[in-house]
Amino acid sequence: MSAGSTFPPLLPKVDAILVLDGEGKRLAGKYYGDFMKAASPADGSSTDNAKNAQSVEQLRGSFERQLQSKIGGIAARPDAAEVVTVLGKTAVFCGGSAGQGGQGGGDVRVVHVGPAGESELVLAHLAEGMYEALSHLMGGSTDRNMILDNLELVFLLIDEHCDGGIILETDPHKLASSVLLRDEQESNMGAERGQQQPVQGGGMGMGQGFGMGGDMTIAQALRQAREQIISNLSQQG
Amino acid sequence: QIIVAGNQQRQRRPLQIPSTMESQQEEGLTINTLMKEVQGTLDKFKLEDDNGMADYYSPYANLEKAQVLHEARCFHDPTAVRESPRKCCTVIAQLLHLTNTGQYLNSAEATEVFFGVTKLFMSDDASLRRMVYLFIKDVAETCNPDDVIIVTSSLTKDMTCDVDLYRANALRVLARIVDAAMLGAIERYVKQAVVDSSGQVSSAALVSATHLFEKNAESAAIVKRWIGETTEATQSPNEMVQFHAMQLLYQIKKHDRLGMQKLVTQFSQRNTLKSPLALVLLVRYTAKLLHDEVSEGRLPGTSFQNGSNFSRAGYAFLEASLRHKSEMVVYEAAKAICALPNIEPQELAPAVNVMQLFLSSPKPAVRFAAMKTVSQVAVNHPRMVSKCNEDLEALIADANRSIATLAITTLLKTGSENSVDRLLKQISVFLSEIPDEYKITIVKSLQRLCLTYPAKHRVLVGFLSNFLREEGGFEFKRSIVNSIVSLIKAVPETTESSLLHLCEFIEDCEFTMLSTQILHLLGELGPATAAPARYIRFIYNRVILENSAVRAAAVAALSKFAARCPSLRTSIVTLLKRSLDDEDDETRDRASVAVSVLKGAMEEFPYVPPVEDPEEADAEPVADVPQVGDPAAYVLLQGLPMSFERLDRSIRAYVQAPAAMVSAEQLTLSTLPVVEEHAEPEPVADEVDDMGADSALKAAVTGKEEKEVVDPAAAVYAIPELASLGRVFRSSPATELSEEETEYVVRCVKHVMPDHIILQFKIQNTVEDQRLVNCTVAVEGESECFEVAGEIAAESIKYGETQDAFTVINRNADAPLAPCNFECILRFGVVQVDPKSGEDESEPFDEEYPLEELEIATSDFMAKVAVPDFRQAWENVGNTNEVLEKFALQFKKQEDAVAAVIDFLGMQPCDGTGHIKPGEGGKKPHMLHLSGVFVGGTSVLARAQVAAQGDASGVLLKIAVRSDDATVSRMVADCIR
Repeated sequence: MSAGSTFPPLLPKVDAILVLDGEGKRLAGKYYGDFMKAASPADGSSTDNAKNAQSVEQLRGSFERQLQSKIGGIAARPDAAEVVTVLGKTAVFCGGSAGQGGQGGGDVRVVHVGPAGESELVLAHLAEGMYEALSHLMGGSTDRNMILDNLELVFLLIDEHCDGGIILETDPHKLASSVLLRDEQESNMGAERGQQQPVQGGGMGMGQGFGMGGDMTIAQALRQAREQIISNLSQQG
Repeated sequence: QIIVAGNQQRQRRPLQIPSTMESQQEEGLTINTLMKEVQGTLDKFKLEDDNGMADYYSPYANLEKAQVLHEARCFHDPTAVRESPRKCCTVIAQLLHLTNTGQYLNSAEATEVFFGVTKLFMSDDASLRRMVYLFIKDVAETCNPDDVIIVTSSLTKDMTCDVDLYRANALRVLARIVDAAMLGAIERYVKQAVVDSSGQVSSAALVSATHLFEKNAESAAIVKRWIGETTEATQSPNEMVQFHAMQLLYQIKKHDRLGMQKLVTQFSQRNTLKSPLALVLLVRYTAKLLHDEVSEGRLPGTSFQNGSNFSRAGYAFLEASLRHKSEMVVYEAAKAICALPNIEPQELAPAVNVMQLFLSSPKPAVRFAAMKTVSQVAVNHPRMVSKCNEDLEALIADANRSIATLAITTLLKTGSENSVDRLLKQISVFLSEIPDEYKITIVKSLQRLCLTYPAKHRVLVGFLSNFLREEGGFEFKRSIVNSIVSLIKAVPETTESSLLHLCEFIEDCEFTMLSTQILHLLGELGPATAAPARYIRFIYNRVILENSAVRAAAVAALSKFAARCPSLRTSIVTLLKRSLDDEDDETRDRASVAVSVLKGAMEEFPYVPPVEDPEEADAEPVADVPQVGDPAAYVLLQGLPMSFERLDRSIRAYVQAPAAMVSAEQLTLSTLPVVEEHAEPEPVADEVDDMGADSALKAAVTGKEEKEVVDPAAAVYAIPELASLGRVFRSSPATELSEEETEYVVRCVKHVMPDHIILQFKIQNTVEDQRLVNCTVAVEGESECFEVAGEIAAESIKYGETQDAFTVINRNADAPLAPCNFECILRFGVVQVDPKSGEDESEPFDEEYPLEELEIATSDFMAKVAVPDFRQAWENVGNTNEVLEKFALQFKKQEDAVAAVIDFLGMQPCDGTGHIKPGEGGKKPHMLHLSGVFVGGTSVLARAQVAAQGDASGVLLKIAVRSDDATVSRMVADCIR
């Protein structure tokens, strides 16, 4: 380890925030700064943008595979993030499940990747904050399908959590309410216009419910119960 | 299996039941009523019970780019935007999700979508607006900046409205797209936002300012003007605002040392920062300033507590932070204290105590962080860490394998010699359960441990060898083999047992590369051991059982045994004969060469077994070595005198020299041009545990640095008159003859030939309105052995150009070489030029320009050439032409003296003796091995002992120079000044 990496960065920035499913597939995520960018010129002349993007995607893909090979099979409690090092970076994550069953705190992992010199405790603080906000937004169930249904909220959460690598907010409640603020207004507006929002698998309904009282509605609880039971049934079957 | 067990343990913990579920149950919903409701819901969605999830359609599943782009056209339809903002939101999210599935928008697509998105500003829908912000930020990097600018006015409007959410987001988007000029226009609003009562807005403004500060110097200059507002923001009750304000304040002040010190002192004493993150920053800034105090030499003693006001206050703050209530701050302070340079043990102790507590934390991140820091402290202060040994041993069983690995490698550093056996027992249980990558780390630590305690080599090598037989991938096996091999070199006593372990390994080795490497090693080292015959069986088994590459290596190894040990020749030849009809060409060829050479040698020097004389039973056994002039020994044992890489470069240099291809001279290894070693950076020993640094990444980095080596002599060969003088022996690196940034920059390269020296002057013209014509460098010096013979002028040098002028110096080979200084004057004609048109405006007039002196020293005639085996080469040359000298040198430090000796002689350090090992400086005399080739092709070797005299009065140098030519040896020894 070079001497430089032992000193913690004076302007702390995360290199990436990823939401990965149990198999390590990226459901949502953001890479910041130059991390995992191709060696080709960063400004990128407009013509070969697509080609550039492909190689970036490959780099990221291989990084995520290496990450998954280390974090797969480790379940981290929401309040006690786990740490691994990948390609000289420190990766801290919450969530995930130990076996293939998909039980426990849901099979999605929230991973924060930071430079080697960054304090693991700071990264853990971030990962725990975002994971809690995420599970709050998803009504307590952070499984893969739930996240996929509500990607919009996940994107917004990442954006409220981190701006260009600099951490904006870590408090789970503040994060969740920033993400949901719009739903409060919107659900009112929707009610005024008498429009029926298309409810796709309950994804948006979820958000609306949150907006109404910040607490869970019966419909949400039912949806959750339904999913739990279905997953139980399918495991037995 | 432990991993699985650990996970099961976790699973046994109570499932995380969402709190809302619990509340529902409290309200009296039994599981039965829930089931009923669920059934109803299921019917409503017409989903099957079991495969219900499979039928469910997610808006983000199986996205096609073309389809989403088509959907995105609805942004242009005002009614659609007004009526169904939800749909627009979904489409934007789909667009953002495309990148997750690897389907990137190309520039044209991005621009089109971007214009569509700008239309969405028409809608007042809050969630849609929020998505629009998100999208613009995302594409701002890929779109043409000129296009992005058009949203500025919409954003500026949002930034000044009264909804906090809009303001905060608009600010963050704006920061991405504005340039310095535009920033000036909106400065007022941003400044206001910094001190806004809403934490969200204030944070957004501060973070945006931090980004802007990094963006370019113009924006940074504007941001600097907000220092008052930023300072005010540090007093905010909102913790994140404090954090962001600290961050920006540091950015603004980071080059102002006193300002920073004041800032840090203020905040650490006033105790107003409540945010743990902000305190973490403050700790880091303090640590940075303390480092600077030391590195810039403002700390007179070694203790921070006795230092300047600031270093005392800084250390006190770090120490006080160890008692903060947030673990994050405590850890940061402890880590900072551990990393302070030259820290005294008693100042370190409180930090280590904290780390020790953290080692048994229930949180994995805390354990990991503490473990990592402890392992770093162990490098310099193993004794401080040894009190944590018990905690470390407990961590070997940690479920997080990274922590366990770090614990083991740390224990290997801190453990005492008598704890080695116990540790190994623990490791052997552990090693079988972890991935290869961690194993490699441990193997490296074991290797280091063996170097620390050579007495333990038997146990350690045995331990390593056991793992050779375990399951494992190529990288893991290779790391063990490499460790064993390097231990053989460092601790020769391990040779025999290691070789036997390796023999057993190749009995069942699936990796051809490792087998061949080991067979080669056996061929090199096996014959010199006490009982070479015992290795033959292992090697011959390879000939019978393996693939062609391994067979060839085994045949080569066998023939080396035969060549070195005449007593084994008869039996080995019998074995080798069986390979004469091998189906592989290479194996067959090697076998037939070996058989025929050995047969010849056996006829010429038949082996005479030592006479069994009962009376002389105690006598020394006769050495089983080939006799002088044995052809087998010559053919089979003598290696190539240079590495393949050097041979390659040497032949290239030969071909490049003109007339080489038509010369009648016979091409032999000794007449090839001498090529010098590259100045390679010494590989830095990874003292700190490097489990994070991935080898693949390192390879990618180093791979880039390989570049084509250009022969500097090419410039000489390009000029026919100079080329006819012969081949250049060596070319020196360029030396500056003028100060930087003068009107005319001159650098000189010395090309040394046996009888001449060609000075190549690279002259650069930096005067815009001048053209230089007929440039020469006049060289004058008083010397018996050098005489200026001729000049070739650079005809014309335009502004900005660099051209070469040459001066040829004859060397009088009869006179002894003596260093000589030459005065150099640049002579040239100046033509005034119109800088715009480039046309001449005047007739040339003569000018002179004095340059610095040029030195030609003996070391210029020495090529840096390494020998593969210094010890053997030293013995081979013999002491007939040896010159011994003693000098007292005026150097304060031993390492300076070593560097100077290398520089004086201009020779190549061998066996890694060019640097003093860290930590050993000054303690004992350093032995320096140097080799080189003197002009004319004489190999020169030198051994120099550099000893510090302890009382800083200088160093004592003893030097011995050997070569085939007494005058050369003398000249080289006289290089020391």
